[in-house]
Amino acid sequence: MACKIRTLFDSMAMAALFLFLGLSSFCNCFAYGFPSSSSSSSETTMHTNNWAVLVCTSRFWFNYRHMANTLSLYRTVKRLGIPDERIILMLADDMACNARNKYPAQVFNNENHKLNLYGDNVEVDYRGYEVTVENFLRVLTGRHETAVPRSKRLLSDEGSHILLYMTGHGGDEFLKFQDSEELQSHDLADAVKQMKEKRRFKELLIMVDTCQAATLFSQLQSPGVLAIGSSMKGENSYSHHLDSDVGVSVVDRFTFYTLAFFERLNMYDNASLSSLFNSYNPSMLMSTAYHRTDLYQRRLEEVPVTNFFGSVMETIHTDSAYKAPSTKAYIRAEIKLSPDKPVTDDQSKTTTNSDGLDQNSDRKPSDQACPFTRLMSSFNDKVQTVEEVDSLVNYGLVTMIPLLLLATLL
Amino acid sequence: MAEVSDAANAGTSRSEEPISDFDPKSMRKTKPGLKRLFLTLSVLFSFVLGFPFLWKSVEIYRAPLPFREIDHLSARLDSAPLLFPCHFQAIFIGFNSKSSASADDLQSAISDRVPKLTSQTPHCDYTISVSVGSDAIRAVDFDRGDDEAVDELLESALGGSAGERKVYSVVVVNRDEDVRAVVGKYRHAWISGRVSEAEAVSRVAEIFVKVFVNGGKEEGLIHGEFMPVGADGRIVLSFNLLNADPRDGVYYDWDFQKIEETVLAPVIDALRPISTISVESQVLYHTPKSSFSYWDDKWSSYIFSTKELPFFVNSNEWHLDTSVAAGGSYIPSADEFPLLLQLPNGEVSKTNGFISPMWGGVIVWNPEDGGEFADSKHPVRHRISHQDLEKVFEVFMGQLRQLFGLKSDNVFVGASGASRLLTSERGFTLWELDVLSRKHTCFNLHSCATTLGSLSKLVQSLPRMIIMDEIGKQVHYSLEAAKLAQINASLGVSDASAVASRQARSLAEDAFLHPSIMSISYYSFEHCFAVYSPFFLPVTMHVLLAALREWRRYKQENRKYLAWKTKVNKAS
Repeated sequence: MACKIRTLFDSMAMAALFLFLGLSSFCNCFAYGFPSSSSSSSETTMHTNNWAVLVCTSRFWFNYRHMANTLSLYRTVKRLGIPDERIILMLADDMACNARNKYPAQVFNNENHKLNLYGDNVEVDYRGYEVTVENFLRVLTGRHETAVPRSKRLLSDEGSHILLYMTGHGGDEFLKFQDSEELQSHDLADAVKQMKEKRRFKELLIMVDTCQAATLFSQLQSPGVLAIGSSMKGENSYSHHLDSDVGVSVVDRFTFYTLAFFERLNMYDNASLSSLFNSYNPSMLMSTAYHRTDLYQRRLEEVPVTNFFGSVMETIHTDSAYKAPSTKAYIRAEIKLSPDKPVTDDQSKTTTNSDGLDQNSDRKPSDQACPFTRLMSSFNDKVQTVEEVDSLVNYGLVTMIPLLLLATLL
Repeated sequence: MAEVSDAANAGTSRSEEPISDFDPKSMRKTKPGLKRLFLTLSVLFSFVLGFPFLWKSVEIYRAPLPFREIDHLSARLDSAPLLFPCHFQAIFIGFNSKSSASADDLQSAISDRVPKLTSQTPHCDYTISVSVGSDAIRAVDFDRGDDEAVDELLESALGGSAGERKVYSVVVVNRDEDVRAVVGKYRHAWISGRVSEAEAVSRVAEIFVKVFVNGGKEEGLIHGEFMPVGADGRIVLSFNLLNADPRDGVYYDWDFQKIEETVLAPVIDALRPISTISVESQVLYHTPKSSFSYWDDKWSSYIFSTKELPFFVNSNEWHLDTSVAAGGSYIPSADEFPLLLQLPNGEVSKTNGFISPMWGGVIVWNPEDGGEFADSKHPVRHRISHQDLEKVFEVFMGQLRQLFGLKSDNVFVGASGASRLLTSERGFTLWELDVLSRKHTCFNLHSCATTLGSLSKLVQSLPRMIIMDEIGKQVHYSLEAAKLAQINASLGVSDASAVASRQARSLAEDAFLHPSIMSISYYSFEHCFAVYSPFFLPVTMHVLLAALREWRRYKQENRKYLAWKTKVNKAS
């Protein structure tokens, strides 16, 4: 009798399981299933402005290099002409003020300590625990609470080119935020789709420096998006070198070579995106930089890097002034006094004073894999040895049912 | 309990009827009790009954959105573009025509010509009337050469009679002098001189279509308008005075308050139906430009070529709020004074200014006394004189008009000749404001329709997304405002229509960008299942199992009873 009941319940449980799986796959469908209608409009509008969203997602001192990566990019795009008001900088931790920082209020991306990245005029828009997946997606989609100031919003329009740079610890189709949550590739694709739908960009360049970075943009399907990642699926992104004075690695390889490319450039240069993408050498990177171009319409050889990493204004000369019959105007206008008072917005600036200690440092290159990824990959490898993961899970569920029955009968 | 009752039953049966072949394993003499089955089933049923309540309590609140009306709105805007009723009125004076038949001929001639001149769909649903000779106009003296006065007279004679309907009139005066055409600052134009009827017809049609309907622009411009208008239809104009390098002790300042009252206030007032404009200003020091100029002996000044203009604005030093339209008046440093902008054809710029689409404009202003940069020890504060500032603001007005897609050269050159355009002290003439208002209404309504369409697609694709009542309300009001704008447009009340369309757009934007819509908080079915299954799954298992077991027991016992029953029946 017990045997009979067990078989009966086995079949019931399997039915429930199937229902569940069926629904979950259905859910995935509609999460990224809305059609885009605005693809044609973007070609006709003119490129008018540039925005940059720079995100460092990891906390803790040993992730110093991620903050340094982001600040280096921040410095570069500012140097190439994107104004501070159009850069959204998100830093998940404050390494400059960390108690373990031997150089207080300073952040370096090179052991030669020539360049303090945390110098004057660094405007951090989202800091510390404000850097969450939710806030990140809010910035992208523009759905803010009313109290959020303009400087923290991405106020781009249909003529905008946006650079989205992200660094942190990632894995297969996700990027870890703050050690507690993850941004999934679906979330990113969904946000980008909504941005496209709302015409918040003309072109978007997503640059990701994490382990298995290429997997993060595998779900994207909006036109006008170009993506480059530091590593392919199953690959790690390594740090470039260890600074023995600071005590941790200070920059990642992919970002280091990106910066090396940009240090040779100024605002007037016409270097193309393809020259940037071809400058990545897999043997130096110790991973394969992967770029996805199938959603992007223009040829990379014809797109200057300043289209994303800088800001070159379109200008039109003013041909003539508008001369009004001024005498009459003066009399008439004297009567009406404008109630408007000039309002000026104070721009909050984060400035830090730097009192640096200069010390010599030995060059000691070292390679550091993310411990998180190492764990994940070892687990992954174990899972890979089993032929069918789904059946394994099913067997697991089936074995749980006798246990449940046992508990019931007892 | 079962065993006890079974034993009792067996005992009674043995005492009553000592049948030898009674098998207690497969038979029983009493009906099996229903109490246990009833109890377990009632627990199960209470669970089943409670399930709808649970389902209801975990339900996701979705305010009903009018999907059909949204689709209807965009379909209507696509199929029937917004048409504003306009009335064109042509008045011919001094033509020695004989009868009213001539007026009809002229009308049909103009009606024939008008559609030929427009290639794109116009925003106007026009009617044309022609009259020959008019007493009201005869009084107007076209002779005096004061175009402003003629314009005022025409306005007093023709304007104000049509109520809300926009009447554009062209007066053709046939007289013995050179032909000149003037477009006034209201909705009137006049052509006077030796014109034949055919020539007059073509010019009249051209003025109607190219000037009054299209605003004097060439057709086929890519975008046409570069004004950064906020989602709520607001424009913030930020005026900045940038002292490039006041190291020499000369600081320039301006009396912005006064210039705002005299020059800007009428303009803002004129543009009120199109957009709410607020003005702010600041004076900045030490703001060098980011590219270099060179000395040119020919002009005896520093030259900055227009090719380099994209690198003029130094966004790291010029702390302008670039999310709004910005205007900058740039005073060059003593090292490069005077600074002129050079056009590609070698000429220097007359305005010394340029615009950047969706951003604003910059004017380089060389102070006249700038040559003698005082080498005094004390900083000298110069206030820019009102005359100079007015000149600067004339260029600013030109730039503002350029951002709105209007030309400022006061001359319209059509296929059949040039016309002079009178300027208004309000910065925009009435017919230009009409053009802008029509364009903005159409743009706002289209933008509203696409935003609502995107929202409805988004909402329908995520069936488990929470939709707050507020979003429903905003969508509802937005649709209502859009409807109102359409009705007003068809009635010709263009100001009200522009305001309503702005409201529709901003409400649609608010609904789409409502902070409660976040992909991260989509409450998926997996989530629901994962949250509630730990509470109910173990208990449900037990309840189901117990009910099943009791049902099986009852069936088994019943079979035993039936077996005994048949045996007794057989025996008796």
